[in-house]
Amino acid sequence: MTKELEHKFISEFQKHQNIIHKVCRIYTNNQEAHNDLFQEITIQLWKAYPKFRGDSKLTTWMYRIGLNTAITLYRKSKRSIQTQDFDTVLHKIESTKYDDTEEEQLKLMYKAIHQLSDIDKALIFLYLEDKSYKEISDTIGISEVNARVKMNRIKTRLRTILNP
Amino acid sequence: MDELDLLKKDWKKQESSYPKLSYNEIYKIIHKKSSSIVKWIFVICIAEFLFWGFINLLIPESFFTIYEKLHVKAFLKISNILHYAVVVVFIYLFYKNYNSICVIDSTSLLMKKIIKTRKTVNYYVYYNIIMTVILSIIVNIIMFSDSTLLNEVMNPKHLEINETKFFYIMLIAQIVGLLIMIGLLWLYYKFVYGILLRKLNKNYKELETLEV
Repeated sequence: MTKELEHKFISEFQKHQNIIHKVCRIYTNNQEAHNDLFQEITIQLWKAYPKFRGDSKLTTWMYRIGLNTAITLYRKSKRSIQTQDFDTVLHKIESTKYDDTEEEQLKLMYKAIHQLSDIDKALIFLYLEDKSYKEISDTIGISEVNARVKMNRIKTRLRTILNP
Repeated sequence: MDELDLLKKDWKKQESSYPKLSYNEIYKIIHKKSSSIVKWIFVICIAEFLFWGFINLLIPESFFTIYEKLHVKAFLKISNILHYAVVVVFIYLFYKNYNSICVIDSTSLLMKKIIKTRKTVNYYVYYNIIMTVILSIIVNIIMFSDSTLLNEVMNPKHLEINETKFFYIMLIAQIVGLLIMIGLLWLYYKFVYGILLRKLNKNYKELETLEV
C-alpha cells in the first residue's frame, strides 16, 4: 500500500514540480537554499499526501503546502553557505536576449521582491501565477478585500522602486 | 510596457529553466527527515513536560523528613496528586492542539494553531512557577507560625541564632533562589523563541494587523 502510494505521489509530484521550484525561486536566492527549501516542501507534501482526498486540485494543494512551508514551517539550515545570487546568475545567462534597460529593470524587480516580507512574497507569487483574489485570500487566510488592498500596495511599492 | 507585465512575462519565460528532478531523486528526498519548526516545537515541548515532571523527583529525601516534622507532609502529598492531575490535563490539551496542526490549512490558520500549541506549554510552565511560589509561601507560613518547631527543624544543633535574623536570611535566600530560577527561564525562553518562533510571530503579526 505504502509503495503504491509512494509511486503515485512521486509520479504526480514529478509532473507538477515546477510549482515548488517557483516557490523556492521567490523565497530563496541561491541554489543551496533553493534545494534546501525544495526538499522540506517535498517532505511536507509527502507527509500530507495520505490525507489528500482529491476533492481539491492537486496543484491548489501544492501551492498551499509550498507557501505554508516557506512562510511558516521552514527553518533555514545552518549549513547554507552564501553562493552567488540567482538574481545575478539567471540574467547573465539570458542577457543577450534582453536589451539593457529591460534586463536592469528585471534585476531590480527580483531584488525588490526578495526584500519583501514573507507574506508579501506569497501575494506577489500568487499574482505572478495568475491566481484569482478568491484563491489568494483562501490560501493566505485573509479577506478578499484585504488581499486586494495589500496587493495594490505591493505593486505600488515595486513600481516606485523602479521609478523613484 | 508596465514593469509588472514585464516581470510576469519574464516569470513565465523562466518556467522552462527550472530543474526537472527524476523519479529517483524525488524518491530520495521523501525518505529524508523533515526539519520543520512544528517538529522542533514538539520535541522541545515534550522535553519541557519531562523536565517539570521530573524536577519533583530531584528533591532530596531529607526534605521530606523536615516536612514531616512540620506536619505538612500530608498537605504536600495532596497537592502533589492535584499537580499530576493538572499535568495530565495539560498533556491532553497539548496533544489536542498539536494534532490539529494541518499543513493544508490557510497560512494564517496554520500559524494560529502552531502558536496555540506553543502557548499551551507556556501556560504549563507558568503554572509550575506559580505553584512553586504558592507552595513555598504556604510552607513558610506554617514554618514561621511555630517558632519552637521551626528552631527544632532548621537548627537541630541549637546554635545561638537571633530569630529575626534567621527569618530574614531564610526570606532573602528564597527570594534569591526564585529570582535565579525566573532569570534562567527568561534566558531559556528568549533563546527558544529567538531561534524558533521569531519568524512565525513576525509573520503572524503582519497578518493580524492586516485583518484589523
